[in-house]
This record gives sequence, C-alpha cells and structure tokens, in this order.
Amino acid sequence: MTASSIRHWPDIRQGESFTTDRITVSRRDILEFAAEFDPQPYHLDAEAANASIFGGLCASGWHVTALMMRLLTDTFNAQRIDLLGSSGVSSLRWRKPVFAGDTLSAAITVTGHNPPAPGSAFGFIDCDVEVDNQQGERVIVLNTSLMIGRGQEVAHG
Amino acid sequence: MDKSPYIRSRWFEDLPVGEFHVFGSYTFSEKEIVDFGRKYAPNVYHTDPEAALDTIYRGLIASGWHICAVWMRMMVEYMERFATGVRDGRRNGAGVGFQDLKWIKPVRPGHTLTFTYEIIEKDEKVIRDRWGIIRSRNEAFNQYGELVFSFVIDILAERRPNP
Repeated sequence: MTASSIRHWPDIRQGESFTTDRITVSRRDILEFAAEFDPQPYHLDAEAANASIFGGLCASGWHVTALMMRLLTDTFNAQRIDLLGSSGVSSLRWRKPVFAGDTLSAAITVTGHNPPAPGSAFGFIDCDVEVDNQQGERVIVLNTSLMIGRGQEVAHG
Repeated sequence: MDKSPYIRSRWFEDLPVGEFHVFGSYTFSEKEIVDFGRKYAPNVYHTDPEAALDTIYRGLIASGWHICAVWMRMMVEYMERFATGVRDGRRNGAGVGFQDLKWIKPVRPGHTLTFTYEIIEKDEKVIRDRWGIIRSRNEAFNQYGELVFSFVIDILAERRPNP
C-alpha cells in the first residue's frame, strides 16, 4: 500500500456518507455476548425474554453497539481511512431490539469536520450513524466523534 | 414464584436522586482486549500488541465499546448482589439511550478500572403505563485515580403498581 492511498483527515469531506456491509446476529452470538457482559434474563433465557419488555430473546444493547463498531471499522478499513479511535458519543438511542437472525447494516454520514489541535496527530470527524435491521427498521441511532490521522507525518517522512 | 431473580429490587419511586454506588473494580487482560478487538473493532491498536507500539497509543488499548460492555457486566453483578434476598418483584428495566459518553484516557492491559454510578435525575413521564426513567452519571477511574470514562445513561425502572 502506498502512503497516498491512505485517506487522512483532510481527505474526508463534511457531508460524505458511507454504507456499511451487513452482519447477521445468531442466537449463539447473542447468548455468548450476554454470558460474558450482560447476563440478564432477557438476553439469556427465552422464557424470561418472552415475558420481558422486549417480547423475546434479544441482543444486549452493548452487543449492538459493538456490532455497529465492527461495521464501521470494516468500512473505514476498506476505504483506507486512517481511523485512530473515537473520543466519545454525544448521544445514542436504542430504538428496537435485535433478535436472533436479524441482519444489521449502518449508514454513516459525516456531519462535522474539526481540525487537529496544533501538534496533534489527528483531526476529528463527527458522524451520524444509523443502524437498521433487514426490515428497514431503525435499531440504533448515534452521533460519535472519530479521530482521523492528519497525515502530515506521512507527507514529511 | 420468582422467575427473574435479578437486578433491581426497588420501584422507580424508591430510587432517590443522589444515590451513589461503587459497582467494583475490573482488571483488563491483554487476551480479553485482543479478543474483543478482533471481534468488534479490528484495528491494530486493539488487536496486535506488537503493531500497536507503532501507533499513536504506543501499545495495545481496549476498545471503548469493550469498556462499555465491562461497565454493563459490573452493573449487572452489582445489582444482583444488591437485590439478594428481596422477594417482592424485580424492576428489571432496559436501557433507552445515553448521552455525553467520553473515552478520556486509554485503558491498557493490566489496568484496573473502578466503576461508579450516581442517580442524577428522574423522568416522571410514564412509559407504556409501567416504567419511569432513571438517569445516572457513570464514571470509571483507573488505578492511578484518573477519570478514564464517563457517560449519562437513561434506564427504565418499573413504577409502583396502583393498589
């Protein structure tokens, strides 16, 4: 890979948008994540889940956010965007549960483009991220601030 | 019968603004950081201890979403202990959303985070005839006492049924 093929902060435009790949969530995925990080009955046990506010066995909300990050990371890596992490999330809403067999994809729109601080190795982009299921229902929506390498180090060797 | 002996043991009305809890501490291992990174955030600073040395982080760091997931684990475990012995129904509410989440400092293998929780607001709006919203500020401090992670989350809590 040549350095010039990498997209740095100055190469990203406000208003630019990306559509991610899809990812399908299995019952086993849901149970494994829940057992490790969110062992509550509606993520572990079908009977308890049926009686819960969700109406069935569903993924932890934090499993959904992790899957969102996977979709975003794969997309940015495929675009050779120099993603250096995230500084935060200004807001996130869990709109609909994710059930076993659901397929998720995300739309990412760059809503802000904030220059690097003097001497900093990265600039920020603000992104609206919308994750939908296979029926086009919105599952989560969030706004996150991502760190993108400024690229000067590459240009100046 | 008690089919879901978990989490909350009090009604929405009984949870006071200002209530503060320390969920406990958790130490992040290199293996856990790499496992999570490979599954959900495959960049070298989350997946490859050697290659991570050449990044701005100068070493492996946990995905921010891994820190969130561990926060959830700590809360669930704490609430289970807190509710032990209570038999009068469980007000086990889902998260609605969160605000102002900040990943402030990197979390590295061997770092120990201590998670704190404080109720800062109650939304009296009744949701589906059953739930209110408890807003809490959550923070995590590392072993040096540095604030590394904070956010404000809205979680449903069941309202006391009308007699």
